[in-house]
Amino acid sequence: MELIVALGLIVFKVAFLIAILLLLPLPLTWLERKIAGHMQQRMGPMRVGWHGLLQPVADGIKLLTKEDHIPAEADRFLFKLAPILALAPPFVVFVAIPFGESVSVLGTEITLYVSNMNVALLFVFAVIGIEVYGVIFGGWAANSKYAVLGSLRTCAQMISYEIPMGFAVIGVVMLAQSMSLLEIVRAQADLWNIVYQPVGFFVFFVAGLAEAQRIPFDLAEAEGDLGAGFHTEYSGIRFAFFMISEYAIVLLVSVLVVILFFGGWNGVLIPLPPLLWFALKVAFFVYVFIWFRFTFPRYRYDQLMAIGWKVLLPLSMANIIITGIAFV
Amino acid sequence: MSRARDTIGTWIGWAFFADLANGLALTFGYMFSKPVTMQYPDQEKWLPYPRYRGHHFLKRDEEGEIKCVACELCARICPCDCIEVVPYEDEKGNRRPAKFEIDTARCLFCGLCEDACPADAIALGQQYEFSSFSSADLVIGRDDLLAKPGKAATGGGVVAARLNTKKDVLVETKETQGYNWWRNIRRT
Repeated sequence: MELIVALGLIVFKVAFLIAILLLLPLPLTWLERKIAGHMQQRMGPMRVGWHGLLQPVADGIKLLTKEDHIPAEADRFLFKLAPILALAPPFVVFVAIPFGESVSVLGTEITLYVSNMNVALLFVFAVIGIEVYGVIFGGWAANSKYAVLGSLRTCAQMISYEIPMGFAVIGVVMLAQSMSLLEIVRAQADLWNIVYQPVGFFVFFVAGLAEAQRIPFDLAEAEGDLGAGFHTEYSGIRFAFFMISEYAIVLLVSVLVVILFFGGWNGVLIPLPPLLWFALKVAFFVYVFIWFRFTFPRYRYDQLMAIGWKVLLPLSMANIIITGIAFV
Repeated sequence: MSRARDTIGTWIGWAFFADLANGLALTFGYMFSKPVTMQYPDQEKWLPYPRYRGHHFLKRDEEGEIKCVACELCARICPCDCIEVVPYEDEKGNRRPAKFEIDTARCLFCGLCEDACPADAIALGQQYEFSSFSSADLVIGRDDLLAKPGKAATGGGVVAARLNTKKDVLVETKETQGYNWWRNIRRT
C-alpha cells in the first residue's frame, strides 16, 4: 500500500512538472514579446485577448495546424530525432531539481522534489549536455547551408562554454561539501553563495547564456545572419519543440543560478513562503534573460570562443584555487 | 594627472562592465516609457497635413452649383490619363460635366489637375482611407467626388480613428455622420 502511494506520488509529481514545463513557454513567449515591444517603444501583441494575452495560444494553434515539412534532401531519421533530442533533456533534468523542502498536504509530508540525488549537479550537467545534440543533428539533418552553419557554430560554442560552466560550480560544491542540490541550498541558509562566489556566479551565468543559446550568444540561431540557424528548415510542431526546449533551458539555467548562488528558497528580510521566494528569484532571472536579449548585440563565434577559453576558463580556475585556499 | 585617473577609471569601469550596465539601464528605462505606437484602426490615426494630396473632390460655388465647366483641361494634363469628362449644357446654358470619372487606381496624386483647372473646381483633399478589394470600385463618379472631404484646415496631428473615442481624445464635431466628421476631431 505504501509503495503504491509513493509511486503514485512520484507519477503525480512528474506529470505536474511536465505540465508546467510544457505550459510555461506560453506566458514566457507573451512576456518576451511584450518586454521586447516596450523596450523598443512598441506595444507588442495587442489584438488577441486582453493586451494580446491569448497570442501564444493562437501561435500554438497555428504551429499545430501548419504543414510538417521535411526537406527532400534531408536525413529523415535524424531530422525527426533532433527535436525530440532537444526537447527531452531539459525535461529530464528537472527530475533532479528541488523546488523546496516539503509541504504538508492533508497531514502527509510531500517533498518538493522528485528525487534527492547525491550527485544531482553532475546529473544536471550530464543530461543537459545531450540537448546540444538535438541542435547539432537538427542543423546537420536539414541539409541546408544556413542550418549546418548554425550547427557548426553550436559545436564550437558548446566546447567553449561547457568547461567553464562545469568549473564554475566546483566552488559551490566545495562550500557545500556536497553535490546534492538540496544540500547546497541548505548550506546557504545563513549566507548566499553569491557573497563567496561572485566570480563563480559570473562565469556560470555567462556560460548559462551560451547554454540557453540566447543573445548575446545565440550564434546557432542568429536570425540576422543565418536565417533561423539550425531550425531554418523546421516547421510546425517540430519547430515548437525547439522553442519549448529553448524556454525550458532558460528556466533551467535561472533555476540553477538561484539554487547554486542565490540561496534557493531561503529568503531574506521579508518572510514569504519558501516556494514563493524561489519563484520570485527564478522569475527575476528569466526577466534578466529577456532583458539581455533586447539590450546586447550578438557576439561573433570566434569572440565567444575567445571569451570562453581566455576569460571564463582562467577565471573559473582561479575561483577554484582561491576557494580552495580560503575555505578548505 | 586627471587624464591618468580617467584612464584608470575607464579600466575599472571596463572590468566591472560599466558599459553593459549602462546599456541595461537604458533599455530598462525605455521599458517604462510610453510607446509611440498609433493603434490605427482601433483608437487613433494620423490626420494629414493641409498640403497633403489625398482623394480628389469637386467644389461647388456659392449657389451650390458645381464649379466645373467641363473644359477637360484636367483630363488633358493628367499624366496617367485617369480623368474622363463628358460635357453637357444645362438649362441655364452653362457647360457642365455630365460625367466626371476619376480612376483612382491609376491616379498618382500629382495634383496637376488642381493646377490646370481654370475654374478652381477640382482639388486633392484630405481623405486617404479608400482602399478596396476591387479596382472597379476605385472609379469615382461626379456625385461621389462632390461628397468627398475637402482640404484640411489644420493637420499633422493624431485624431480618433473611430467615433467611439477613448478618454484622451476629444471630439468636437458638428456632424457625426458622413465623410466630414473626422475633420473636426482634435486630441486634447
